[in-house]
Parts: sequence; structure tokens; C-alpha cells
Amino acid sequence: MIATCWHCGEALPPDPPHANVGGIRYAVCCNGCRAVAEWIAELGLADYYRLRKGSAVRAPDPRESAESAAAFLRPELSRHLVRARADGTSEAIVLVDGMHCTACCWLIEQTLGRLPGVVEVGVNAGARRARIVFDAKVLALARIVDALGRVGYRALPLDRDALDDIRQRETRAAQKRLAVAGFGAMQAMMYASALWFGAFDGVDDVTRDFFRWLTLLATTPVVFYSAAPFFAGAFRLVKVRRLGMDVPVALAVGLIYAGSVVEIFTGGPDVWFESVSMFVFFLCVGRYLEMRARHHSGDLTDALARLTPVFADRVEADGTLLRVGAFELVPGDRVVVAEGGSVPADGVLETEQCRVDEALLCGESTPRQKRRGEALCAGSIVAGTPATMRVTRVGADTAVAGIVALTTRAASSKPRLARAGERAAAGFVARVLVLAICTAVAWAIVDPSRALAATVAVLVVACPCAFALAAPAAVTRALAVLTGRGVLVVRPDALEDLASVTHILFDKTGTLTQPAIAHDRTIARQGIDRDAALAIAAALAQGARHPLARAFVADAPAALPAVDARESAAGRGIGGVVGGRRYRLGRVDYALDVERHPSHVKDAVVLACEDAVVLADDGGVVAAFHVDERLRPGAHAAVARLVRAGINVTIASGDARTRVEAVAQRLGVAAWKARQSPTDKLALLASLRAQGARVAVVGDGVNDAPMLAGADVAIAVGTAADAAQAASDIVITGQLEALAEARAIARQTLSILRQNRRWALCYNIATVPLAALGLVAPWLAAIGMSVSSLAVVLNALRIGRGYQRRATNETAVAGESVDTQRALA
Amino acid sequence: MTSLLFLIPLSILILVGAGAALFWAINRGQFDDLETPALLPLLDADAAESGDASERPS
Repeated sequence: MIATCWHCGEALPPDPPHANVGGIRYAVCCNGCRAVAEWIAELGLADYYRLRKGSAVRAPDPRESAESAAAFLRPELSRHLVRARADGTSEAIVLVDGMHCTACCWLIEQTLGRLPGVVEVGVNAGARRARIVFDAKVLALARIVDALGRVGYRALPLDRDALDDIRQRETRAAQKRLAVAGFGAMQAMMYASALWFGAFDGVDDVTRDFFRWLTLLATTPVVFYSAAPFFAGAFRLVKVRRLGMDVPVALAVGLIYAGSVVEIFTGGPDVWFESVSMFVFFLCVGRYLEMRARHHSGDLTDALARLTPVFADRVEADGTLLRVGAFELVPGDRVVVAEGGSVPADGVLETEQCRVDEALLCGESTPRQKRRGEALCAGSIVAGTPATMRVTRVGADTAVAGIVALTTRAASSKPRLARAGERAAAGFVARVLVLAICTAVAWAIVDPSRALAATVAVLVVACPCAFALAAPAAVTRALAVLTGRGVLVVRPDALEDLASVTHILFDKTGTLTQPAIAHDRTIARQGIDRDAALAIAAALAQGARHPLARAFVADAPAALPAVDARESAAGRGIGGVVGGRRYRLGRVDYALDVERHPSHVKDAVVLACEDAVVLADDGGVVAAFHVDERLRPGAHAAVARLVRAGINVTIASGDARTRVEAVAQRLGVAAWKARQSPTDKLALLASLRAQGARVAVVGDGVNDAPMLAGADVAIAVGTAADAAQAASDIVITGQLEALAEARAIARQTLSILRQNRRWALCYNIATVPLAALGLVAPWLAAIGMSVSSLAVVLNALRIGRGYQRRATNETAVAGESVDTQRALA
Repeated sequence: MTSLLFLIPLSILILVGAGAALFWAINRGQFDDLETPALLPLLDADAAESGDASERPS
């Protein structure tokens, strides 16, 4: 077990600072984390550490947050972010990055609630948003953001329009409908049971009619309020001449209700109010669960807010820097982006040169060198020197906004399956309707007084309840099972699609691989241990934001030596004093300090270091590290299982040919494409689909988002940029291997769904003729309906039984980890 | 049987009252977050302590 920071879970330096929490000293990685941990304890919120499910975010740089706080005081910004309320208080909404679990949610609520001037705090763990009502005279928005920063979260204030949250309205409406349906169904059932017992014992007509009117009273709001979305949905479907599930449901609810009302007025023998209200209640439960799963996935507004920074450092007329809101920028402004900062708008580089990490936009795994006059895209990260740029496009005109918009469009034009199940149910309902009409006509000839009763009995018995429940029951169960295995299904339809997938298209960087140091190609100077060299390099790299630096830290041994006199040179490398010796880590010319020691260039080792990361001291090269990509844990097993299952696996990447080929060979994938732009990928997808393939796309970056949106099934991996997640149908938060399992469970779900439908059909075939002959009593019909529904639900609970933790096979896991430890050659 | 004439309207009144109360609670956002409150019972004992701690000037 490696010693890690008590607060953020990162590796500890050799002589770590300690945080004093409740009298116990815990080792933490840096003073920032110590401050956060002690602050949390001082607020009396140390319970957070007991309840949380994941590590916190590393503490932010205090200087950085002070500057941002100053920017929040600008009236332009607060007008944009804060809404004044009628009672004199103000209201703002922030997106909280780093919120993992309900413990985080609780911590945020407690922290904000204790700030003076805060009136009300609402934290939504699913949406990762916090709504704060506060007194602007006492408390500034900056204090709120700062307070969140101090407990370790990054707060992104959202445009005040975000306060009108569609999701919140939707949730509340669904809850009210569910409540009405629940109350109504309970009451209707109670009155109906009195009627049933009355039917056994004999009851006078007045009492019977009294109870019927009561049942009508209880059922009417259920039908007209709770079931309203089904009627609206059915109306929309009929208008475009399609038969979805809403049509039979609305038809059944409407007809049974209308039939029962007619029964009351004509004094017929039976009413079916309790059946219809129970039916609506079950449907509302299913819809509500589906909606909650959907809301957990976040939306595109949030995605864009995460990708682009809130602030920009604008160069004023007098040459000074002023931190302003990114939305305030106009084309022509000059902006300075700090090292490690993200570009606030599209623009043209004015600095001589800089290195830019555009992984989000083009999938390139290494930062690209840009020269004066080249274009910079909003959302990319400046990896080296601070860069000055002239803004050319802002806000909705930027490339990243374009990609997000493209994603939205592609998502709305997604080819929806004409779902077989719905068609079957619709066809079934059509047949029941024909049968009901036949029954009505036949009884009208034989005995007109019993025509209506028999017709409605047919509808009740054959009510598509089991049919309507078959899909939600199976899907809800499958969603729960998959969530437990780290697979989040955002669009429930995706299960059906996943089961029938024939091709899977993988993105490479970030999906199948992650950058890593190639240990077997590390060259070290004579007499120096490779691991010692790596430890020094990692110590230097710690805290740097460059992706390569992160790879060093990830690979480092537990205890790192202390570093003094850190220095960092503009996109070329970092340096510092370790154990009394001066080291430099970076590109070969920087590490060797060529300007001061030109003789080093002739060093034989240097030639071998052309594209390596070099660690050097004053005596020359200490070690040269080659950076390769390492397969993500589970990638090999996932691909192998998919191939065994007969799926065609293709890798499409924006990266260089050699790198893609290496990964493809390693995974045993024959089909791969390198240097693919987002457009190329979309074309590849289109050509596969033109050949009749059903394609799932697995990706992570924003550049995958259009391809994800156009796929039959879009799957994002857990580290995925949020735009990709918003466009995706399925998000894998755990191991990639879960993908193969998810497919198996999806297939099982479909087979159980088919069983359920077959069962519903058999039940109906057996009972409908009896009802048509007028032989089924109303209570028997209602019980029959409930039993058939219950059978459907119980059958659905079997989903996931056969796949319980198969991956815990010891040898398989051990083999896999050895596999992934070996860097790709 | 005549008691029904009194009891049933009463039950309906109570039902309508319960429904109205629930709607009020939903509109006040009490059901917006169904996850955080699940943790609160675990904290009862400590919450009292932490309340004291927070009164310390910080």
C-alpha cells in the first residue's frame, strides 16, 4: 500500500506536512491540502472524511484564487452571474467541479450554510450544481467561490439564466404526478374492495352507486393529471402517424375510464377505476426512475462551462493586466494566458512561440508547438510559456462551441430505432381493439344490455399493462445492475442498441491508452539506479501540469525526495535542487543547458535522446526516459472478450500512424485508422453504417463528440470530457472491461424482455376469450392483471444474475495487471 | 352504514390536505435532492459537537 495524501489521495513527498484533525495527525501531500483538511476540521465537518467515497481534488493554488476573487468584484461580472430577488436577496448558481459523492454534497452544503449572509443553499449531487441565495450586502460571490476553494472544490459560476433549471421543473412535475397517482390509486383500490365485497354479499344499489362515484372522484385526477404526459405523447405520435408505446397506453387508459363512466350512468354491473389508476401509478413510477437516470448525466451548458475558463487576463490600453469575465471579451482584445491556463476564446498567437495541449479538440496526445500568427482554440491548454493572443472569436462563435453545437445537432438527428417491442405492443393493441369491437358488435346482436360490460372487460383483461411494464421493468433493473458495475446508461434505449451492435469503433488516446514512461527503454548513466533517477524526475515533475509530468508522477515510487529552488522554463522543462545537486528535466537541449555547456552536445548519449525526456545534472545526462502509451487497465480483456463475442473492433485515432499501429498490434486488432480528424471519423462511421453495420463508438474527447452523437450507441469512458459524456448514451466509470459485460447484460435484458412479452401474450390469449364471452368477473380481471404484472417484474429481477463478478477470477486479474504494466514498445 | 356518510368525506378531506402538503413540500424543493438527507441520520451524534465547534471564532 503506497502512502497517499489523506485529503487528495496523491503520492506523498518523503517528508510530508501533517494536518492536525481532531488531535490526530494525518500526512498530506502539500500545505494546500493541509490547510483544506484543517479548515474542514475547524468547521466541525471532519465527518466528511468518514462518509466520502472518493478522494478530494488537490488544493488549488491560493494565489490563483485570490486573483479570481478580485475579478468577481467587477460589477460587469456580478451582473452577469447574480440575479436580484424581490425580497432584496441575491441568487446565483455554481457548477461545482470535484463533487463525487453525497458526502461532498453534504460538505458543500455545510460549508456554504455557515458563511455569514447565506440565506439558503441547495446542492444537487446529480447535476453537480449548487444554488445559493445570499445577502449581497454582507457576502460577495467571490467569498462563496473562495469558501468552496478552501474545502477543495472548483466552483464555476454559471450564467444566471441557468437558475431556470429545466431539470428541476421536470423533476418536480414528475414527483407531483407520481404523488397524485399514488394517492388516487390507493383510494380507488380501497373503495373498489368495498365494492368487491359488496358483490359477494349483496349490497343495495344506492350504496353501490355511492362507492362508484367515490372511485370516480379518486380516479379522475389520476387520469387527467398523472396520465396527461401519456395522452400528450400519444397525440404527438398519432400526429406523425406512428404507433409508439404511448398510443396503446393512452387508448387503454382513456377507454377503460370512459367505459367505467358510462357504466355508472347506465347502472351497468362493473366499473374498472381501480385497475386504471393502479396502471397509471405503475407507469409513473417507471417514468420517474428513467428520468432520474437521465438527469444524472449533465447537459451541454455545463459541458461548455467546464471546457472554457470563467476569467481572462485582458491587456488594458495602458499595458496592465486586468482579470475580467471571459464573456466580456470582444474580438480585438489582447489576452495573456498563464502557463497551464486554458485559452478563453479563439484567437491568434502574438507571442513568438508556445506549446499548446489541444487534446480536447483534436485528440493529439502531445502538446503542439505553435508560432506567432497561428490560431489558438478556446479550451486548449497552454503548456509552456505564458502566451499573449489577440482574440478573434468569442462565445458561441468559438471552435469548441461549434463542436458542442454540432454534437447537439447530431444528437437530435440521431437515427432512432423503430423499436420492435413497441411495434409488437402496438400490433397487439390493434388486435385487442379489433377483438373489442367484434365483442361489442356480437353482444349488441345477442344481448345489447351486456355489450359495454363485455367490451370493457376485454380491455381490462387485455390491458397492455404487462406489455407496458415489460420494457420499463427490465430496463430499470438492467440499469441498476449496470450502475453497480460502473456502467452508467444515460439513454435507456441504448441497451437495446448495444445488444445488437456488430461493430465497435474505439478512440485510442485516453480511451484505450494513457501516457506512461517506458521503463525498459530508460537509459541511465553508469552507476545510477534507474529507479532513483525516476524518483528524482518525479519529484521535479510533481505539481507541474504538463501531461508528461503527470505520467512521471503516476509512475513514481511512493516516497519522493524533497526539491528546493524549483525553476521552470517555458515549455521546455523544469529544474530544482535534489539532495544538494542541481537537476534539470525536459527536452535534451534544456536539460543539458546547451548554452552553458556546449561540450555536452557531443555526448554519445545525447544522440539516443532525440525524442526522449532527459534528466541531467551539471555532469551531463543522468537518465533518458522514453514516453509511450500504456494500455488502460482492462483494455486488453475488454477487446479480447468483444472479439470472442464476434464483434468487429476498429481503432480510429487522431494520433500518429506508428503509435496507433503499436496499440492495435498489442490489442490484436487488425482494423485501425490513424490521423483521423473529427470529420474523417464521422465519414468512417457513415461508411460502416452504409454497409449495414450497427456501430458503437467508444471515445473520450470533445473531438469524438460528433462521432459519438452519430453512432448507434455512444459510449464514453469515465475520464471523458464532459461534452462527450453529454452526447453519449452510456458512460463507463469503472474498468473498460465492463463494456463486454454490459453487452452481455444488454443481451440478457432483451431475452428477458422477450420472455415477458411472450408471457403477457399467453396470458392474454388465455383470458381474452373468456372476457369476451362475459365470463370474467371484475375482481378476477383486476387480480389477473396484477398477477401478470407481478410476474413480469419478478422475471426482470433475474437480470444480471448470471454475470455476478466474473472478473474476480484471480489469475485473470493478475495476468491483466502484468499486461498493462508493460509499456508498449 | 350511516357513519360512512360522515367518515368518507372526512377521509377525502384528509387526503386532499395530505396532497396539498406534499405539493407544497415539492414546490419548496424538499424532494429535489434525495441523496444527501440519507446521510444525515448517521451524523446525529457528531452534529451536536460540530455545532459547538462552529461557534468558535475562526
